[in-house]
Amino acid sequence: MGVLTRPNWRHAVPLLLFLLSLPAVAVAQAPSAAELARGKYVFGATGGCGCHTVPKQPANAGGRRYDGPFGTVYSSNITPDKETGIGNWTDEQIITATRLGRRPNGERLIPVHPYTTFNGMAADDLKALVAFLRSVPPVKRQNQPKKITVPMFESVFLPAWLAAFAPRETAPTSVPTTGVARGEYLVRAVGHCGECHTPRTMTMATDNSRFLAGNPKGPEDSEVPNITPDKTTGLQWSEEEIADYLGSGNKPDGDVAGGLMGEVIEGTLSGYKDLTKADRLAIAKYLKTLPPIKNKIGK
Amino acid sequence: MELRLVRTGVILGSLVALTATGCATATKAQMIGTGDPVADRQRLMKNVGANWADIQAKVKAGAPETVAVNAEALSLHAQRIPTLFPAGSLTDKSKAKPDIWQKWPEFEAAAKNLENRAATLRDQAAAKDGAAVTATVANFGREACGTCHTPFRVPPPQQQPAQPRS
Repeated sequence: MGVLTRPNWRHAVPLLLFLLSLPAVAVAQAPSAAELARGKYVFGATGGCGCHTVPKQPANAGGRRYDGPFGTVYSSNITPDKETGIGNWTDEQIITATRLGRRPNGERLIPVHPYTTFNGMAADDLKALVAFLRSVPPVKRQNQPKKITVPMFESVFLPAWLAAFAPRETAPTSVPTTGVARGEYLVRAVGHCGECHTPRTMTMATDNSRFLAGNPKGPEDSEVPNITPDKTTGLQWSEEEIADYLGSGNKPDGDVAGGLMGEVIEGTLSGYKDLTKADRLAIAKYLKTLPPIKNKIGK
Repeated sequence: MELRLVRTGVILGSLVALTATGCATATKAQMIGTGDPVADRQRLMKNVGANWADIQAKVKAGAPETVAVNAEALSLHAQRIPTLFPAGSLTDKSKAKPDIWQKWPEFEAAAKNLENRAATLRDQAAAKDGAAVTATVANFGREACGTCHTPFRVPPPQQQPAQPRS
């Protein structure tokens, strides 16, 4: 009792100083801060999950419209709002939706969300991405229901298409950190470049035998460039020029990126522009290793 | 006396009218261009691109303080942008999105943004502040050009190599 009623302040001062210094130490060492930064970086490497943001509206709140041959879908609210977003989903449920295209209730996502591509994302990157998604301010915005016009699309066509036609990336056991392997991982899985730059077959699956050879009927009616190193119809920029472009939007001829490419470079909370120079160069190096494919896009 | 006043008035009035007409005609005659807004704006944008490529080359070459003349050209070109997009000026050759006319105040603001940022760049170069020029140039593409290209232009289908430099 005596000790409690008459504390020895001489000993308390160093203890107090120690306690005061704790929060700073905790922030610097907590794995969550590093994890969040990594998640934000992965988020940027996807182009800022930009399909989930209507330009100039709150990030990740969904509601962006996509028209396809099967009908119309609207991107989902992926903010941590508990009612309208993914706040009540477990980490595993979010990862399952991202990679396998299944909602917690088992329902399939329409593959406008490129889950067959994101299936190639490494587990550690996905975990960090989920941690980051949870850190973004929640936005209450009800998801808009899809309008599927093709009969039996979700019950028959979609499962058959996924099984028979859709190419599926496979995840590496650990995240490649350098060189062409890193570039390949960023291009094929995280950056999902093929979703726009690879032509599609009759079934609307990406034609990976012509990977990144350009798409004359890209999203939003755009003609998406061939970025294989073909000498006449492909990308002729140097590795340095490609890396600069991804970081700044600047093209070697003085033009500046726009449209959807402008969007993914800029990103939302982060984008391609936030990739390190080493990663942008790794992407460029990988693009140079692609088989050149002659495919002229545009007149 | 009255008649003379009236006559003077008529002469003066005619002079004013003639001067006004003359000025208007002269202004019109001074407009540079083919009269085809799509061709004119594409030519203007080519020149914007050439100046922007020149600015980046100068910064890379370690001469950021020499970009004032290019930045001035960008700022002046930017002032002309809204006049080169009259309503309905869309052809097969144009890469402009119809959103321009649906969101005209945003489009005008984007052109003004380019004008202002280019003027800032010009002033930094004129003040020989190389560090400031380099910092502005680092984000200029995305923040001065991209903010308009992203919402308002359909991207070109093929990526062009660098222009040969004279």
